[in-house]
Amino acid sequence: MREQPLKTLSGTPIADDGDEFTFCSTCAFSAACLSEGYDKSQLRDLHVLVEHVGPFREGDHVFREGDPFNAIAAVRAGTVKTYVNDASGREQVLGFFLPGEVIGLNAIASSRYPCNAVALDTVTLCRFSFPMMATLASRMPGLQRHLFNLLSQDIGKASLLSGNFTADERLAAFLVTLSRRFAERGFSPHRMRLTMARTDIANYLRLAPETVSRVLRRLQDEGVLKVDRRDMEILQPNVLDELAHHVLRD
Amino acid sequence: MQTTSPVLPPRNWRFDADLLRRYDRPGPRYTSYPTAPNFSEGFGEADFRDIARRSNEDPIPRQLSLYVHIPYCQSPCFYCGCNRVITRDEARGRIYLDRLQREIAMVAPLFDRDREVVQLHLGGGTPNFLAPRLLGELVGSLGRQFSFSHALDRDFSIELDPRFVTPADIEVLSAIGFNRTSLGVQDFDPAVQKAINREQGVDETLAIIDACRRFGMRSVNVDLIYGLPKQTLEGFARTLDTVVAARPDRLAIYGYAHMPRLFRAQKQIRDRDLPSAEGKLALLELAVQRLGDAGYEYIGMDHFALPGDELARAQREDSLHRNFMGYTTHAQTDLVGFGVSAISHVGDSFTQNHRDLPSWEAAVDEGRLPIWRGLMLGNDDVLRADLIQQLMCRGEIDVRRVEKAYGICFGEYFSESLAALRPLQDDGLVQCPPGTIRATPRGRALLRIIAMCFDRYLGVQGEGVRYSRTI
Repeated sequence: MREQPLKTLSGTPIADDGDEFTFCSTCAFSAACLSEGYDKSQLRDLHVLVEHVGPFREGDHVFREGDPFNAIAAVRAGTVKTYVNDASGREQVLGFFLPGEVIGLNAIASSRYPCNAVALDTVTLCRFSFPMMATLASRMPGLQRHLFNLLSQDIGKASLLSGNFTADERLAAFLVTLSRRFAERGFSPHRMRLTMARTDIANYLRLAPETVSRVLRRLQDEGVLKVDRRDMEILQPNVLDELAHHVLRD
Repeated sequence: MQTTSPVLPPRNWRFDADLLRRYDRPGPRYTSYPTAPNFSEGFGEADFRDIARRSNEDPIPRQLSLYVHIPYCQSPCFYCGCNRVITRDEARGRIYLDRLQREIAMVAPLFDRDREVVQLHLGGGTPNFLAPRLLGELVGSLGRQFSFSHALDRDFSIELDPRFVTPADIEVLSAIGFNRTSLGVQDFDPAVQKAINREQGVDETLAIIDACRRFGMRSVNVDLIYGLPKQTLEGFARTLDTVVAARPDRLAIYGYAHMPRLFRAQKQIRDRDLPSAEGKLALLELAVQRLGDAGYEYIGMDHFALPGDELARAQREDSLHRNFMGYTTHAQTDLVGFGVSAISHVGDSFTQNHRDLPSWEAAVDEGRLPIWRGLMLGNDDVLRADLIQQLMCRGEIDVRRVEKAYGICFGEYFSESLAALRPLQDDGLVQCPPGTIRATPRGRALLRIIAMCFDRYLGVQGEGVRYSRTI
């Protein structure tokens, strides 16, 4: 019996059509590289490797805090969670990374990864690695600038956590940004799979897990969204946008 | 008890004796898909703990249904195919409860406390083998370790043997929190009762039904069985009249399945006392007519309900669901089972506790979850389970919705099932207009047969698997 996907989300799949000499058609790094005049073979000459790695199983770490930094990576499939452990050893979730998004960018200005990255489900990555950070800064400053641009988008996501926002507002902002990120990858903005556990969502938003569920249940009762296991459908995007408005400031 | 599904024609289905005769073949009752014989002993405690943890992690974790199995009976009914322990020693109930408490203490912490219990069911054996005080202890313990819903529509039900319960007991049960009861009757005909070793008076039974009403039970169900030894049309007609006059909210009418090689108690029933196949069908037809005339609606499988009952309403509003405990108005809950042979359904998994008492006891005593076997549903299982649910609850499959939700081309994916359906179409059980697979009024009486076309495991059963006949 062939395995069929349980529920499929339509969207452009992350392609696997490149090789040592050409970028994949959906490569997250190709735009930055090509605009600086680097094709794949030139990258190889500079000892920059662009290669598909994985699969990482749920719970596998992609990198750990303190590991020497030598690569950034784009998620090709699955979801990655970044986190740190606070002074008392408690986990603090920093963010979630969906297919097409790049992890490790916050390490670019240092020599070690400042956080942990773990696979939340089966994850494959495209790793963009360079043996010496100095190479990037000195030999390819333009490329480094491009990559920094990706980083600033990343910082934007963290604004959810600052400020005095209600649980409803935070959750709405979370769902709206997720929805936009999915839409950017060609997935439906209104139907998504929440691969992250509710404790992770709660941790990220600085809420209790019960609060996350309580808010979602209320939004579901009000017809704003519909949740079935990990699948979510946003039924009234305007209502969610309205709620998220103050947090996202747009 | 091992039973078969009767056929009742409410306004939307018809009794067709010829069809029923021809389709009288063994088949599962589909209280789960895949069915229990497909569970594997390789699936155990570690798997269950992992699955419970994951189920807590959904954005809105599912609410809970709890099932507790009490295997003891004071007296053996000869028709029964259930896993039960016959004893009059009340102390055994106390000892069993002590172990149940230990099992609950191990299992309850695995589920987050904001997951409310919206359904609780006690089955057996005879749940009221435990005195009301002990039942109170059990429910109290569950209530402290789980979060009981306070909603008015929560379903807290208990199966009762009316011979061993008093109206005063019913009051206590209501105070404990039960709001539904299910009473065994089978047949009031004294000759039948003697043949099945279940002598139960009409008056005492009616008194219990009355007590249930007086003490706030939201609904009462009565179980009847047709095809029992010494059963006659006249005798069963009197039973039906008596029961219908008491107007229980729900009725379940099971067909007796005589399988003495599987169920030793049934050896006490003499073959020659049993109605013929024709006689059995006639008894069913009689029940169908009487219940229909009395205004009962057919819910599905063996169950009937008055139009005002919430199951009937849910069926009309298309919000009916079905789980191990039968038809329910509560959507998609995770089910946690306690006690010997109890089945759990958490996330996409099924697990079943040990069916024999000594193994269950040993596991609990050793601080292990008493899980015997189980399985993890694969994508194909989840899809087929969805279809079978639709059939059992609505009598039809919404092909378009399935294609959209699962990303398949139905005709291609289910080409074998559709081929298996064709003879059923020719026989008028099912219609397949574009976008739907729908049971006809005559087919609604044979939902199991239709469901079997989508059961991937039929034909690949291990040895020793026996299903009751569908009639």
